Amino acid sequence: MMQKLEKILMPIANVLSRNKILIAIRDGFLVTVPITIVGSIFLLISNFPLEGFLNMMTSIFGEGWDAYLGRVSAIAFDCVALLGVLSIGYCYAREKGLENRIAGGVVAMVCFLIITPQKTFVELEGAAEAASFSGFQFTFLGTAGMFLAMLTAILSVEIYAWAIKKKLIIRLPDGVPPMVMESFASLIPSAIAMTIFFVVGIIFDHTSFEYVHYFIYKVLQTPLVGLGKLSGFEVIYQFLSTLFWFFGINGPAVTNTIFSPIHKVLTVENYEAAQAGLEMTNIFTAGFSDFFCNFGGGGSTLGLVIMMAFLGKSNRMKTLGRLSLPAGIFGINEPLIFGLPIVLNPLMAVPFIFAPVVNTIIGYLATVTGIMPITLGVQLPWTCPIIFSGFLVTGSVMGSVVQIVMLAVDILIYYPFFKLLDQRYVQEESAAGNETDELDDLSFDDLELD
Amino acid sequence: MKVVLIFDQGLAGAGGKSNPNVGLTAVKGGIGSSLMLEPHFEKIGAQVAATLYCGNEYFQNNEEEVVKKMTAMAKKVNPDFVLCGPCFNYPDYARMAAMISTSILENTDIKSCAMMSVENGDTIAAFKDKTPILKMPKKGGTGLNDSFADLCEFMKCMVEQSAELENVRNRVCY
Repeated sequence: MMQKLEKILMPIANVLSRNKILIAIRDGFLVTVPITIVGSIFLLISNFPLEGFLNMMTSIFGEGWDAYLGRVSAIAFDCVALLGVLSIGYCYAREKGLENRIAGGVVAMVCFLIITPQKTFVELEGAAEAASFSGFQFTFLGTAGMFLAMLTAILSVEIYAWAIKKKLIIRLPDGVPPMVMESFASLIPSAIAMTIFFVVGIIFDHTSFEYVHYFIYKVLQTPLVGLGKLSGFEVIYQFLSTLFWFFGINGPAVTNTIFSPIHKVLTVENYEAAQAGLEMTNIFTAGFSDFFCNFGGGGSTLGLVIMMAFLGKSNRMKTLGRLSLPAGIFGINEPLIFGLPIVLNPLMAVPFIFAPVVNTIIGYLATVTGIMPITLGVQLPWTCPIIFSGFLVTGSVMGSVVQIVMLAVDILIYYPFFKLLDQRYVQEESAAGNETDELDDLSFDDLELD
Repeated sequence: MKVVLIFDQGLAGAGGKSNPNVGLTAVKGGIGSSLMLEPHFEKIGAQVAATLYCGNEYFQNNEEEVVKKMTAMAKKVNPDFVLCGPCFNYPDYARMAAMISTSILENTDIKSCAMMSVENGDTIAAFKDKTPILKMPKKGGTGLNDSFADLCEFMKCMVEQSAELENVRNRVCY
């Protein structure tokens, strides 16, 4: 059965993990993660879930101190599409094998800005007509523009790369500095891409949608992000991610090609709702995925590592558990994946695949029943340890409490499988001690060298 | 078929980057990632007699000693085959595996090979004419099971000195 399953999963993993467009989108969003994390830290400080802390900050810096911090978080969240189009454009230029990758990223960003409304209308009280001013709105540069940013990055770099391939470039004589040469080589490809997007923008101006943003938001982004709002969304993501890992395939690297843009939108939508004073409604944010589904790395192995370290009877279990525990607290389980091992180990497949699924269901139920608040639109480093992460990402101690419950459940899920493997190792170790052959006293200490 | 495995500390289950200085260790039977290989080994009647390992940093600081002692220990255990791998895309481990496999082939009559992913390009280029180096995916890549099936086919051909060895080698090695 496992072989049949692998035969089905392998081609899917190959297609998803080798598709240049999906890789560019996944990696492009990864580029924006540090920015989002830094923005989240500024956001957390200005909205820290302890009244005493906020009062202390006000007494030190005065009223309105939090507005200054908002300048950083606004760029990280409200300009997420702008950052995305640049980084996805760069990554797609890399995937297309272009030498001048940053030119690809810049062309993508420019094309996105060309089709973005550059005039904003404001209704003024008492005025007969709406006033207007020149400038981009955060509305079009943030989550609402995310899927358009992806499409624009891919299409504009595709056009740019096509023009380069067709040698539609200006050649300068030898001896011209390489930077100048590259700059001029980009001129015609950039012009073609920009002109096409200029025309597309004008066409949409004359439709009922008015802007490309509205069109893409309605026909593409809303249905796709709607999938992320379904209760089964996160369960499917977690299940597939660990299922791939069991076969040695980096599951999130495959599944994130599809799921990460949706997680990103869901997260930033919560941020925007909070900023607008509205209720946050998205459960499956990046924070939920990172801190309420897996503890100690893929497969939620922290509970297993704790048992190995403190309940393991075999030397192998104890040693590996104690050595893996510090990394496990910070969400890293690589020593376990190949050292226990988990990959291609049928005994560990069941808890490894189902523990994150059970966590997801618990987290979902805890949120919808109001036991813990919905996760905020912040993104913390995924290495943030359990308990701290639960508190910070929900702004409530109940987030930490739910995490502790999940860890206890994970321990129960892993326990029978851990015992079976531990007993097997104990038997192997005692059998090795009882048998008497020339391999029993293998040691490098008394090795004779020729 | 009696097999000896040469691992680094990560594959041996002796900790990952947190324990890079673990010294030369020999354990009877298979440990750590040996469990991934066992179903494949069973198909060709191979059994792991012993696992030899050391940490990455220990190897870096004592290259000559590690290669010499691993070779001597392999000679003492005297298996039919020494597998130096699977190294995935771990560069230090890949280099150690290639050096030990080369040494075993040069200094003993025991059959041996290394196994690593294409990301270890420098090691592959430097050692592929001195020892067979089998192809495998990087960590998290697709095709791990298939590469183990190829490994077993190669081991069997090499130990039995099959006429098919050259064909198999051309297909599964760099």
